[in-house]
Amino acid sequence: MAYKAPMKRSWWLQHAAFRRYMLREATVLPLVFALCCLLAGLWSLQTSAQFHAWQQFMAQPWVVAFNLLALVGALYHALTFFQLFPRVMPIRLGEKQVPAALMVVAQWLGVVAVLLAMLWLATSGVLGAWQ
Amino acid sequence: MSEQRFVQVEVVRYLPENKTPEKDEPFSQFFEVPYTESTSILDALQYIKEELDSSLSFRWSCRMAICGSCGFMVNGTPKLGCKDFLRNYPNGVRIAPLAHFTVERDLMVNMEEFLVHLEAVQPFLVEEQQAKAQGVQKYTETYQQTPAQLAKYKQFSNCINCGLCYAACPQFGLNPEFIGPGALALAHRYNLDSRDHGKAQRMKVLNGHNGVWSCTFVGFCSDVCPKKVDPAAAVNQGKVESAKSMLIQMFKGNS
Amino acid sequence: MSRFKGLHLEPLWWGLFSAGGVCFAVFLPAVLLVFAVLAPLGVIHLNMNALATAAGSIWGLLFVGAVICLPAFHAAHRIRHGLHDLKLGGGLWSVVLCYGAAALISASALWGWLALTSWF
Repeated sequence: MAYKAPMKRSWWLQHAAFRRYMLREATVLPLVFALCCLLAGLWSLQTSAQFHAWQQFMAQPWVVAFNLLALVGALYHALTFFQLFPRVMPIRLGEKQVPAALMVVAQWLGVVAVLLAMLWLATSGVLGAWQ
Repeated sequence: MSEQRFVQVEVVRYLPENKTPEKDEPFSQFFEVPYTESTSILDALQYIKEELDSSLSFRWSCRMAICGSCGFMVNGTPKLGCKDFLRNYPNGVRIAPLAHFTVERDLMVNMEEFLVHLEAVQPFLVEEQQAKAQGVQKYTETYQQTPAQLAKYKQFSNCINCGLCYAACPQFGLNPEFIGPGALALAHRYNLDSRDHGKAQRMKVLNGHNGVWSCTFVGFCSDVCPKKVDPAAAVNQGKVESAKSMLIQMFKGNS
Repeated sequence: MSRFKGLHLEPLWWGLFSAGGVCFAVFLPAVLLVFAVLAPLGVIHLNMNALATAAGSIWGLLFVGAVICLPAFHAAHRIRHGLHDLKLGGGLWSVVLCYGAAALISASALWGWLALTSWF
C-alpha cells in the first residue's frame, strides 16, 4: 500500500547538479588515456628510435585532441577538487576557521607555480627548448 | 500589496486505495492557483486543499522552516514548501513527494526510512559508561563548554531532520541501506562535541560499507539543506575519522 | 581475530584517491600542457637524452609516482564508483578490475623508471 519510484540508470540526467557531478567524475576518462600516453613516453626513453615513434604518435591530431580534452578535464577537476578540499580538511586556528576562499586561491597558486616550473624546465634547455 | 496572478501547479498524487492489479502508480493533477509575492509552495497546497480538492494529503506544521515537515520535490529539487515561493516559478511548477522515499499517500513519504538511520548513530550526548554505572550525578549538572569547543561542531548542529538531503542523495537512492547525509552529519556533530562519550559506538556504524564510505561527495545534499548544515562536508570529514578509527582498530584491537 | 572484524580496504582506496586527486589537479595540467600538447604541436623541442637522464633520477621516481601511479588510482576509484552510479557494478569484480588496472599501470611505470636508472 505504498509506492516506491524505481531509481533509473539515467537518474543523473534528471538534474543539473547531477550532470555536473557526472562531468566531474568523467574527467578521469581522458585522464586514463593521457596516463597511458605518458607511460608509453616513459618506456620510449630506452632508444631514440622508440622516442621518435612516440613523438610521432603523440603528434597525431586525434591524440592531441584527446590530450587537450584531458588537459581541460584536469583543470575542471582542479576547479571542483579545490573547492571540496577545505570542506573535507578544514584548518582551524582556535575559534576561527581559515577562510575556504583563501585555501582555494592557495591551491591555484600551486598549480601556477608548477606550471611555470615545468615550462621553465622544458624551455630553458634543461629538458628541452622553444622550437 | 501586489497584484494577484495565476500559475499552473502540477501536483503528483498517489492514492493507495486506487490500486488495481494492473496499475499502482502516481498520477499528476493540475490546478490554477492565484499567487502574490508572498505565496509559498505550502500556501499553494493549502489553497488547493481548501478551495479545489480536499482529498489532497501533505504534511506541514510550523510554516517557518523549523519543523522540517513540508519537504517536497519542487521542479525536481528538494525544497521546504514554506521556504520556497510561487513567484520563483512564473511558468508553472511541479510539486512531487520527496525522491528516494516510499510514498504513502500523495505528498507524504515514509520518513521512517530516514529515522531508522538517524537512530542508528545515536544523535544525542552519550554519557560516560563509568559515570553511568556508578550512578554519578555529574550529568544532572550543567555541562560546561568553551567557545572554542562549541565552534568545532556548531556548523553541524542546525539540522531539523527534514530529509531534503536524503531526497538529494543519489547514493541513498541507489542503496537505501546507506546511513545517509543527515544522520552521518549528526553523528559527526556529536563526535565533535566535547561533552559526548559515544564516538566509539558511532564509529562502528560510520566505518561500515553503508556508513561514510558509500558517499561519493555529489554535494547536492549541502546545496539543498535549508539550514546550511553542509552534510557533505560532515560525511567526508567522517571519512578521515573513520580511516583513523580503522587504523587504530587494526593495531590496538579496538577503536 | 576480532580486532579485524568489520575492517575493509575502503580507507586505503580513498587515501590513494585523495592523494591522486591532488596530483591530478596540481601536476597534470602542467605536465599535459608541456608533454602532450606543446611538444607534439612543435612549440617545444624535447631533448631525449636530458629527459632520459632526468627520468632515471630520484626526481624521475617522484614524477612517476605523482604523475602516473597516484592519478591512476584516483581514476580507478572514480570509475569504480561511476560503475555503481550507472548500476553497472560496484561490487567485487569492479574493485578487482579498477584497482587491478591501476596497480598494473603503476607497476609498469615503476619498472619503466627502473629501466632508466643507472643500476639497471
